[in-house]
Amino acid sequence: MGETGAVQRRGLRTFTLFGRRRGGFRLGGHFGPRVRKATFRSVFFAPALLLLLFLVVYPILQTVYLSFMSATGAPTLGNYGAVLSDPETINPNLSWPPPLGTLIHNALWVTIHLPISLLFGLWMALILREVKGSSIVKSAIFLGMVTPMIVGGVILRFLFETGPGIVPSFFDAIGVRSLAVSWLNYRETALLGLIFGSVWLWTGFSLIVYSAGLTTIPQDYFEAAKIDGTPPFRMFFRITLPLLRPMTLVIITMTLLWELKIFDIVYAAAGPTGGTRGSVDVLSLQMFNYFVQGNYNLAAAVATLLTLLTLVATVFLFRRMVRP
Amino acid sequence: MATGDSTAATSGGADYVPRKTSTRLIAIIAALLVVTNVITAVGVYYGTVPAKTAETITVIGPWTGSEYAKFLPVLDAFTNATGIRVSYSSARQEDLQLILPVQFAAHRAPGDVVFMVSSFIKTQGPSGTVLDLTNVVDKSAYAGGALDPVTGTNGKIYGAAYTGKVKPGFWYRQSFFTAHSLTPPTTWAQFQTLLSAIKSIPGIVNPIVSGDGVGWPLSDVVEHFIATFGGASMHRNLTAGTQKWNSTAVHDLFANRIVPLLAAGDFSQPLTWDSTAINGWWNNQYALYFMGSWITGMNPPVTDPNDVGVFSLPAQSGITPGIVFGPDFMFIPAYSTKIDAAKQLLRFLASKDGQTVQVKQGGHLATVLGVPASAYPAIDAKVAQTLVGKDVLPDLDDTKGTTFQNNFWSQLKGLWTSPNPAADLNSILDAIQSKA
Repeated sequence: MGETGAVQRRGLRTFTLFGRRRGGFRLGGHFGPRVRKATFRSVFFAPALLLLLFLVVYPILQTVYLSFMSATGAPTLGNYGAVLSDPETINPNLSWPPPLGTLIHNALWVTIHLPISLLFGLWMALILREVKGSSIVKSAIFLGMVTPMIVGGVILRFLFETGPGIVPSFFDAIGVRSLAVSWLNYRETALLGLIFGSVWLWTGFSLIVYSAGLTTIPQDYFEAAKIDGTPPFRMFFRITLPLLRPMTLVIITMTLLWELKIFDIVYAAAGPTGGTRGSVDVLSLQMFNYFVQGNYNLAAAVATLLTLLTLVATVFLFRRMVRP
Repeated sequence: MATGDSTAATSGGADYVPRKTSTRLIAIIAALLVVTNVITAVGVYYGTVPAKTAETITVIGPWTGSEYAKFLPVLDAFTNATGIRVSYSSARQEDLQLILPVQFAAHRAPGDVVFMVSSFIKTQGPSGTVLDLTNVVDKSAYAGGALDPVTGTNGKIYGAAYTGKVKPGFWYRQSFFTAHSLTPPTTWAQFQTLLSAIKSIPGIVNPIVSGDGVGWPLSDVVEHFIATFGGASMHRNLTAGTQKWNSTAVHDLFANRIVPLLAAGDFSQPLTWDSTAINGWWNNQYALYFMGSWITGMNPPVTDPNDVGVFSLPAQSGITPGIVFGPDFMFIPAYSTKIDAAKQLLRFLASKDGQTVQVKQGGHLATVLGVPASAYPAIDAKVAQTLVGKDVLPDLDDTKGTTFQNNFWSQLKGLWTSPNPAADLNSILDAIQSKA
């Protein structure tokens, strides 16, 4: 073998990209199996990589670049200053009723919508675990998830409108006249109406994930706990909840990302103005409006801030997810 | 080397990929790609390129449903006269506001003739994305000033006015007024008395129903109050930005005319204009509805246009009232590939012949001169009466553009839904002025 044999053992070959062989050209004729395999995989990976570069990476970089440029093309940090000091983003008069600012509204979505839809989904998954025909109920609840959110927004608009809406009709029937109004038109009720309405659309997600998670918990654990005389609530906190941790993290991550980038429901339910005096305006809608008005640099600054927010949240949650 | 490779191949490692197979596989995939691309290209070419004998152009307009049905006879008349086919696409102007600049940046045009708000046409014109129509549109065919909203500061005309709709005032059902012995008011005091009388009728939720949706129904009613009590001059000054929204005159107008009605519950809460609001009005839950002249064509629920009447707010002595007349403006994108045919269509739509066909369908008023009065349905003749003695004004928020418009709509909804409109008035007018 000598020197050539040593090279072969290490899987190295003299560099010849296309070697002439019997039967035609062969890719990497002088490469070892590993290199050939890598080349073989790269050929298939390259189109996807190119698409990602042009359709994802390049627009992201271009957006970040735009956010640091003034309308005249000069480098500036002014776009971030303008966005963060805009009362539309954070209203200096932080008092109820809204508008409190898009950033605060997004934060309210996270703090109200996330726990309600998560806990509601968990509760439903638990009570439907051993109910006969529960799959029908689960499917019905999951319908909200498969409904396009833009349609969901239109449904919410009518759900909360005086006349056709079931919510004002209900409050009218029980004599609560102050809530028998078109919720999405009033600053006092619009944001909460939209958030509570969206719980209906999103609960299906946590219900399905938790239902799947519950089936993975071995029954032996519960039986052993029963034999030991463990009360049900203790079983829930010591067995069920810890073993559902991966599902909980998935639900929190997905819901959080959805709430940070929420747009379609707000747009369809409250229009491009973000509701009455901007009472339900959110960051994505603010970005959209900057864009429509031709303020591309400000729109890019909001987009970059949104990306940062989602990145921080995602990285934090993913790190917790992979931790043993 | 070949032997060594063969030996490795036969020994069968886990990572082994047979070279001949891989080379052939790649060759087959490449060949398949080439063949499928060629087939697709040929198919797309012969499948989508229209026959050269009948040219087809695309017009993008805002009309759907019954309004679209009333526009079709105009397009048919054009095709019969020229042989050019027209494909119609519907798009909301709010959406076009977003789509068109992006299309223009890529040097593309989604349509050959596009209906769009005047502020957009005027803004885009000087940038070269909109065709200069100075030598295409016959300015003398229109009444004076009709093309001002689409004329640039350089004097070039970038758009043309199609037919328009007037926003004459409050619509009512004649049968309802007759049944309750109500009559249209001729003074402000009579208007207030009328509202009180309506409020006492059983089954009435509010005397006036407020339209909602995107936001323009509220801005239309406010514009009518401004044009009546502030006069045409105040409306023009607010449009031009020479008068401030938080000035004393404007504040007083809101405080003395609009706010008392809101506080008294004369206006309903905002309801979706083309469903809940109009159905409620037609079913006599509300007696009055401020809307444009297109309301007569909204069937259903307006099944009997002859049962509909309209009155403007009573004029004030010493003030020249105005009335908002909103023409539908159109333009030709510079990136249209069928500019000659597009010019022909635009000329037709801006002609006496084209507009006569449209006004016959009802709900439209011509912008060009010479359309015979006999072409109008009876209800539109009533609408035309509301124009007498008033200055014709362009739509305020359409003229000012999106930034102002969105804020204006949003703030007015705030006024309409405020538990204490008098207390919120100053902050609302300040907020409107901030984007004016």
